[in-house]
Amino acid sequence: MKTHASEREAASSGATLYGLYVLAIASALVGNLLVRLAEEAGWLGSSSRIALAVVAVIPLIVAAVMFWRLLRGELDEMVQRIVLEGMAFALTVYLPLAALYVNLRTAGAWVPRLDPPDLLMAPALLMAGGILLAWRRRQ
Amino acid sequence: MTNTLPDLRTARGWSQGDLAEALDVSRQTVNALERGKYDPSLPLAFRIAKLFKLRIEDIFHPGD
Repeated sequence: MKTHASEREAASSGATLYGLYVLAIASALVGNLLVRLAEEAGWLGSSSRIALAVVAVIPLIVAAVMFWRLLRGELDEMVQRIVLEGMAFALTVYLPLAALYVNLRTAGAWVPRLDPPDLLMAPALLMAGGILLAWRRRQ
Repeated sequence: MTNTLPDLRTARGWSQGDLAEALDVSRQTVNALERGKYDPSLPLAFRIAKLFKLRIEDIFHPGD
């Protein structure tokens, strides 16, 4: 039975996961920054930079595993559907925008410069927007 | 899809939280079900019908 206590546990798990995702994205961004700085300053060798790049992404992999376990086991069916709709929204908006950006850039049109952090954050922000939209539809 | 969940629930003196606990879903899900904002999965519809000792079609009705 999903008691109030287990609802609180699920909410707590969700908050923990959100915090972990924030930290994981921050880790990936810091890793990206360090790799770029190291390359420019010649601090590390090529293999060390590659190792740093890989290690910085490990927290995101851990967060992804936790996300799937939470989605399949602890969230109730409406919340599962809302999260999945949010992911679908993010994917269906991100891909055309990314394709448009790449094509315009290739065609020589002016487009804002996007760094790796921008590209990393875009799907996360779109997913948050998608979840918000799906949630509002059911209120 | 419309449903008679609010009537069935209030007739038994249950809160949305009580019904949520009995159905193993969140209170937000019960609220969305009652307002017709969310259509339940088939397993959840069967659980609801079993809880109220009714048939699914006695509780849920197709919309226009």
